[in-house]
Amino acid sequence: MKKWKALRFCTILCAVALASWSYSASAVDCPIKIGGLAPLSAPGAVTGGEAMRDAMMIAVDEVNAKGGLLGCQVKLVMGDTEGLPEKGTAVMEKLINQDKVVAAGGEYHSSAGIAAMEVAHKYGIPVVFAETWNDGITSKKYPEVFRIAPLSSEVADFQSKFAATVPGVKKVAMIVENTDFGRPNAEASVKVLEKAGIQALMFPVDIGTQDFSSIIQRMKAEKPDLIMVIVTGEASYNFTQQAADAGTGPENLPMICDQTALESKAYWTNVPAGNYGIIMRVGIPPQLFNDVAKTFVKAYTTKTGKNAAESYAFEAYDSVRILMQAIKEANSTEGKAIIKALEKINYVGALGTITFPYGQDNPPDKTGKEDKWWHQFPEPAITMLQYQKKGQDSTEAVVVYPAKYKTGDPVYVNKK
Amino acid sequence: MEHSAIFWTVFAWLTFWGMVGVIVTPRIFLRKNLDVSRAGLAGACIGAATGPLGLLPLWYFGPRLRTSWNVLSGLLIIAILAWAFAVADPHNTCVTNGEFVTSLFVNGVIMGIIYGFMALGLSLIFSILGVVSFAHGEFYMIGGMVVYFFTTTWFPGSHPVLGLIAACAITFAIGAIFERIFLQPMSKGKVERPIEYGILVTFGLAFFLQYFVQAVAGANPVKAGRFFDFPVVGIPTMADPWLIKTTTGGLTLFNAASISNPRLTAAAIALLMLGILLLFLYHTWIGKALRAVSQDPQAAAVIGINPETMNTLAFALGGMLAGLSGATLVQSFSWVPQVGMLPTLRSFVIIVLGGLGSLPGAFLGGLVIGVIEAAGTGCVPDPTRAAAYIPAYGMMVLTLVLLLKPTGFFGRQQ
Repeated sequence: MKKWKALRFCTILCAVALASWSYSASAVDCPIKIGGLAPLSAPGAVTGGEAMRDAMMIAVDEVNAKGGLLGCQVKLVMGDTEGLPEKGTAVMEKLINQDKVVAAGGEYHSSAGIAAMEVAHKYGIPVVFAETWNDGITSKKYPEVFRIAPLSSEVADFQSKFAATVPGVKKVAMIVENTDFGRPNAEASVKVLEKAGIQALMFPVDIGTQDFSSIIQRMKAEKPDLIMVIVTGEASYNFTQQAADAGTGPENLPMICDQTALESKAYWTNVPAGNYGIIMRVGIPPQLFNDVAKTFVKAYTTKTGKNAAESYAFEAYDSVRILMQAIKEANSTEGKAIIKALEKINYVGALGTITFPYGQDNPPDKTGKEDKWWHQFPEPAITMLQYQKKGQDSTEAVVVYPAKYKTGDPVYVNKK
Repeated sequence: MEHSAIFWTVFAWLTFWGMVGVIVTPRIFLRKNLDVSRAGLAGACIGAATGPLGLLPLWYFGPRLRTSWNVLSGLLIIAILAWAFAVADPHNTCVTNGEFVTSLFVNGVIMGIIYGFMALGLSLIFSILGVVSFAHGEFYMIGGMVVYFFTTTWFPGSHPVLGLIAACAITFAIGAIFERIFLQPMSKGKVERPIEYGILVTFGLAFFLQYFVQAVAGANPVKAGRFFDFPVVGIPTMADPWLIKTTTGGLTLFNAASISNPRLTAAAIALLMLGILLLFLYHTWIGKALRAVSQDPQAAAVIGINPETMNTLAFALGGMLAGLSGATLVQSFSWVPQVGMLPTLRSFVIIVLGGLGSLPGAFLGGLVIGVIEAAGTGCVPDPTRAAAYIPAYGMMVLTLVLLLKPTGFFGRQQ
């Protein structure tokens, strides 16, 4: 009798557990909340942050217009990281514990991203970083952390190889932001440049520096042949224009500007003497846009009134869209299920087809790859553009490198 | 640095004799019943500059101390350090390149004038209301924003000088209204803890203005165009302009120091306004009334000056000076709602360095910080650290001055 009682108890217990498990597997709290990280205040790169916010909102609006996700509407909850690590931590804590987001996308600054990912890891919430380049983000091999932006070391390699193609370059001066983005990027660039026999000098400054006059004098005294700006936000505009005022701007010396120069209107307002600035752009060039990219650009230009979408807008759009596809494929908003879906995803987005070949089932070290390739989109297209007319829009800027995407020859201002 | 031991040995020597001077001189002067109020500072300066050669006669004769001795000793210390630096690092650009040093110095002075002008307003407010305004940077930010929107959106194409006038008017009005509503209760004794109240209420204003502007104008960086184009000239001749050569966007002095048009314009306006402010304070009835209130509000009231009106005027004027400072710099820097944070911190350092409440002190403090920052950024041997230490240069000077003269350059003993 006792045996039967125990058996009956076990059966009921199993049924309850099964029922609750199946409920938790399929039940979804509506609306599904996704966190959006971006710097929306200084000292962060506000120009980039606002573009990313708009792009993420478009991604969510598109899905909601088609009926939502798993029968729910999707809500984007924005968090302003200000580009600061302490804000990155606080914002992520709030998004997870107060707003109850199931995943997060976006972010521009590596420092804020590194801080935010620790929180995401603590709570098991997946996060797809859009524009944070620091290698350490993926090198930590956290199951929750994915990235569709290029690796800092790869970017540095690309930029430095371009710098080496500029005729007569023997010395490169780099103005470097003293952050998790700037330092590693500059150090990797120095290695590549020195390998190519080019002397590289780093001039690190704090994030948000306004007055560069003294450091520009010092840089000028070193007589560099090319300047690389590894500083984000309005500080990059300040540096570029102040360098131009001192006679070492993009119109006097080849200068690789920060990506925020892609925001043409802000660039020409803040750097009126910025013609011939060279800018790196992540993402496929406009002539190779797929349908997703074309649709996004149309929606983005309508929403923002801009002529085109910047590379970080593309990345932010895809970071949220890829999360929504993962939620759909996982048929769940549970962190582990989303992570599993992301590891197997084959997502066609505005940046092209995105996959994460290295993860829990295929760790990078298994194939002799470095840890930085963990959950990393391996093939983001990168190009170098150059403004060749004052007031030119970045979409009309000439693609000068690499050869396979080239639309025109670069103008080397010191050789004109 | 090639021979760093030389530099650090000289530095240690100066520090040792400076410390001996600061510790021993007041004791000897006290034992001789002499004035000890300036003995520590004089002992430190003379000790560091001359070592035992100067200290022994000072202790033996115990003369009446003069400010000029401190100034001369200070200059001698700078000269000794410069010599030691040149010997220790002979290939440093600051040693080998005179044009570079000239350029650094001139740009440091220009920035110093601008810093000093910004800090003047803060010092004026403190000297009269006894309040450290944490919203000073926000007045600076609003000044710049007003010029930008005045010349590009509200009245496109209008001359920037009109924008400057509008910036002055708006920041003056904000200052006056804020003082009337929020700071008057403090001077009327309606607030229990006035010092804490003053800090908190100006903090509140700072946050309000910052986020209000962000909500209204957005957080994207903006920048106004150049106020004036320079005429293209060469002095003495266009063919050989060794003294001054100008382009529309800048000026070169002695074929060495290049100064951008916006900075030079901002510094010139700052000097002009400083002159006007001094005329106002020393040669008008209202100016004299302001100074009287700063010295003794109750005595001023007895002779018919209304301290409350003067408080309002001082806060509004202080805000206006910050606003004008921002208005002249919006053609130099990219402007965002948070642009005032760094200048506020720097202004605090400057007014403490110059002496709280002292207007000449604020200006001199600004010049010192400007030149020290330029010299530090340009001459620190390791370029990978030079610019990252910019905020530290000012703090080091401040610490040193406060150790030797806790009231700052021109501060009054309470």
